[in-house]
Amino acid sequence: MSAVIEVDHLTKRFGRFTAIDGVSLAVEEHGIYGLLGRNGAGKTTLMQLLTGQEFATSGSIRLFGEPPVENSSVLDRLCFIKESQRYPDEYRPHHVLTAAPWFFPNWDAEFAAKLISDFRLPLNRRIKKLSRGQVSALGVIVGLASRAPLTFFDEPYLGLDAVARQIFYDRLPADYSEHPRTVLLSTHLIDEVSNLLEHVIVIDDGRVLIDADADTLRGSATTVSGRTGAIDAFSAGRRILHRESVGGLSSAVIEGLDADARAQAVRDGLDLSPVSLQQLVVATTTSSPTEWKESA
Amino acid sequence: MTTTAPATQHVWRVVKLHFVNRWTIIGVPGLVLTFILLVNVAIWAIIAATSSGQDRVDAEQGLTYTGASFYIFVYMLIVALQAINNTFPFALGFGVTRREFSFGTAIAFVLLAIGYGAAFTLLSYIEQWTGGWGLGGHMFTAIYFSDGPWFARLLVFSGAMVFFFFFGACAASVFVRWRSNGLLVLGAAIAVVIVGLVALATFTSSWGVIGRWFLGAGPTGIVAWLLVPTAIAAVAGYFVLGRATPRSA
Repeated sequence: MSAVIEVDHLTKRFGRFTAIDGVSLAVEEHGIYGLLGRNGAGKTTLMQLLTGQEFATSGSIRLFGEPPVENSSVLDRLCFIKESQRYPDEYRPHHVLTAAPWFFPNWDAEFAAKLISDFRLPLNRRIKKLSRGQVSALGVIVGLASRAPLTFFDEPYLGLDAVARQIFYDRLPADYSEHPRTVLLSTHLIDEVSNLLEHVIVIDDGRVLIDADADTLRGSATTVSGRTGAIDAFSAGRRILHRESVGGLSSAVIEGLDADARAQAVRDGLDLSPVSLQQLVVATTTSSPTEWKESA
Repeated sequence: MTTTAPATQHVWRVVKLHFVNRWTIIGVPGLVLTFILLVNVAIWAIIAATSSGQDRVDAEQGLTYTGASFYIFVYMLIVALQAINNTFPFALGFGVTRREFSFGTAIAFVLLAIGYGAAFTLLSYIEQWTGGWGLGGHMFTAIYFSDGPWFARLLVFSGAMVFFFFFGACAASVFVRWRSNGLLVLGAAIAVVIVGLVALATFTSSWGVIGRWFLGAGPTGIVAWLLVPTAIAAVAGYFVLGRATPRSA
């Protein structure tokens, strides 16, 4: 295992606004990574920095050991699919698919053809006239069929219907197991992708809040609920990620409960339930001082 | 930014990318040009059918002042704008460096300009040989174009088109990098320069000299000089785009 992405104290400012604030992280080769966070958390900016589309204010980025900006030998191994991708005026999907093999040495035309029929993408319609979901499908097809050693998907399935999303969730791990590569996927549909992800990076306000193995993370917190007084007593001295109270009842998302603590909770008459990845992300990112600007 | 030239293969795929959709860059302008020619033929036929003697000679003289083919130059300016505004972010998503994109785009523009220049040159000879499509009309032998040997005609057509390409590309690069504020500043700067030059010419009473220079230089000389601002636009566009970031909207 070697790191394909190494980020060290990366900061990106736009005027007085700090979009990425001292981020350090490493992504190992071969794995499906989730980049999770709320709208405006900095997911797209981080991906644009990693792919050399944006210039860092300070800090360093290494992809395959080299800086990505204007570096052909790095960029040749990347594919960056973003929700807001612009296409040349008057392009139709078949133009994109004609050009794609020139840029992606591992392009698999047969796989692309199969995906086109799975997603029912009309090849000969102008991209401007496609629905939101069809444009997303085009991006997903390019991202999967490119088989780039390092693939970035930024909110790749906006507007895709449930069936099409399921196709993506099925195809990605299936193709990944045959052609191992590194995939970094940003999304806010966390529950849907949670089984897909091997590693999770949560960012909020331009900072990394969580950078952990997905399995470890799933067992890392527990929701404890019961009478407010009992919750207060039980949670004292423990790390609380999130807390809610309604009437005399409370629930708290508490990190790292061991077997003894669980037994104690049961003795106190409290209910224990597992925390899904989505709940964990919500719990972690709502505790920050920023207000909800948009509902995710 | 390093100054090493990008690999040929990497540049060539960008050139090809500009030619993937031939409909936009060849089909549509070709059709519109054909339509303009047909409309002009109809007008020349009307003139030929309704005038005779000295009137006819005067009319044919007037027909050399035609702007019928100017459309294509403006169209290519728009092609250049779109190439930078839309194809640039698209190509970067496909792992192209800014440098590769600039080189590839410049080559694509020059190839297109030479292609259109060759077609216009050929059409200008056809127009000449057929006596103005049999009606004494002028579209490709307008007064502004060269009536010299083939290479002079090719230079005028291709050179003028290259100017529109690189001027459009430079303006679009400013837009991609600094959005509309950048274009406002660029527009203001160009206006100031033009007003300054007009003032200079007026206060030094040199309009006569300038007029004589233009007449003396002729179409070939003017286009040859136009290569200077073209080169400036190309180099400026290259450096502006070199630090530009593709934005989503």
